[in-house]
Amino acid sequence: MCRMCDWLGEGQIWYKNPKLHANRMYKLREPGRKPQESLRGNIVGSNLHEALEAKANGDLATFNRLIAEKNAADARKVGAQPIPLNEAIEVIKTLQMPVAAMMCICRKATRAEEETNLNEYSCLALGTGMFKWERWPERYRGGVEFLKPQDACDWLEYWDKRGMMHLIMEEGNDFLGGICNCDYPDCNPIRQRVDYGLDQQLVKGEYICEVDFKRCNGCGECLGRCHFNALKFEVTIDRPSIDPMVCFGCALCQTACNRGAINLVPRSAYPALRNVW
Amino acid sequence: MNVVINPKITVDYERCTTPFDCKRCIRICPPAVFVVYDIESHRGYEVDKKQPGTYKMLPLYRDKCTGCMKCVEVCPVDALTVKMPEEMLT
Ligand code: SF4
Ligand code: SF4
Repeated sequence: MCRMCDWLGEGQIWYKNPKLHANRMYKLREPGRKPQESLRGNIVGSNLHEALEAKANGDLATFNRLIAEKNAADARKVGAQPIPLNEAIEVIKTLQMPVAAMMCICRKATRAEEETNLNEYSCLALGTGMFKWERWPERYRGGVEFLKPQDACDWLEYWDKRGMMHLIMEEGNDFLGGICNCDYPDCNPIRQRVDYGLDQQLVKGEYICEVDFKRCNGCGECLGRCHFNALKFEVTIDRPSIDPMVCFGCALCQTACNRGAINLVPRSAYPALRNVW
Repeated sequence: MNVVINPKITVDYERCTTPFDCKRCIRICPPAVFVVYDIESHRGYEVDKKQPGTYKMLPLYRDKCTGCMKCVEVCPVDALTVKMPEEMLT
């Protein structure tokens, strides 16, 4: 179980704890605390910019120091985590609170995407707080669309088919805030973990995927689905090969396999994987 | 170890004033080096992306820049330069 399970799970996987499905509006801000202003605090205000400048200038010592500092700070907060499609659907169905599709803030930043309707939206916001979205029209640029649970599940499946994995996120440290559909390199947490070692803001999933070599016929449908470089094709045995130490358990390879040859295995099932987050 | 040094990228913000509306360099860059963000996000207010100075573009992921020059070629207002540091060119 990951650190979020320790903090919030009460004995189960944290995102399955109904207490985190809080049906309430946003908390009042602490007196004197400023509102977060879009990406300013996120990208430009962070030392990530400084770290990447150092890297581009060949100064790896500074880069490594700044990344280690950011990881230490992130480790004290709840991170985003990959969630398999079937569990994302389970969360939506048990949630009992509003779900709304909206534009993805990462894609807006990395590719200047402007998502303005349900066919384009790629992020899902959860919670009654969403009823107040119109107060922040720039943050929710392009509008939002509230969805019935079944429609939200279909929409997640649509993005899964197209090759996006799903990340679950929290809000205010104690309730589920969203499920985003993500890919490399547009998703900031994915790129920043895979390429720069920011390994605390995005935590590996509760599972890993494993290929059943008997069921698999080597068709290769699963190839190209992995955003984490964990899945390769092993020519010698004519089967795909997943590095369990690298796998994030997003299950995107699994949902591509129509022979049921890829299994989700809890990380806790293998002694050496228990602490690989 | 083989230490990689990337080109310096300069942005003339007097020229590049509406990057979220223009988005040419942001979309054409193969390794997605650029990010764009709104300068001010206020309650109850959506900024006009066509109004100069509401958004800013930043070559955040410069460590991926190969110096291919596609962004320089596509910029309609010549706001970008991409150059390897002098000592690297010899
Ligand atoms: S191997 Fe499969 S489950 Fe693991 S990270 Fe890659 S796509 Fe996701
Ligand atoms: S999609 Fe399934 S059957 Fe095809 S190669 Fe991948 S694991 Fe094997």
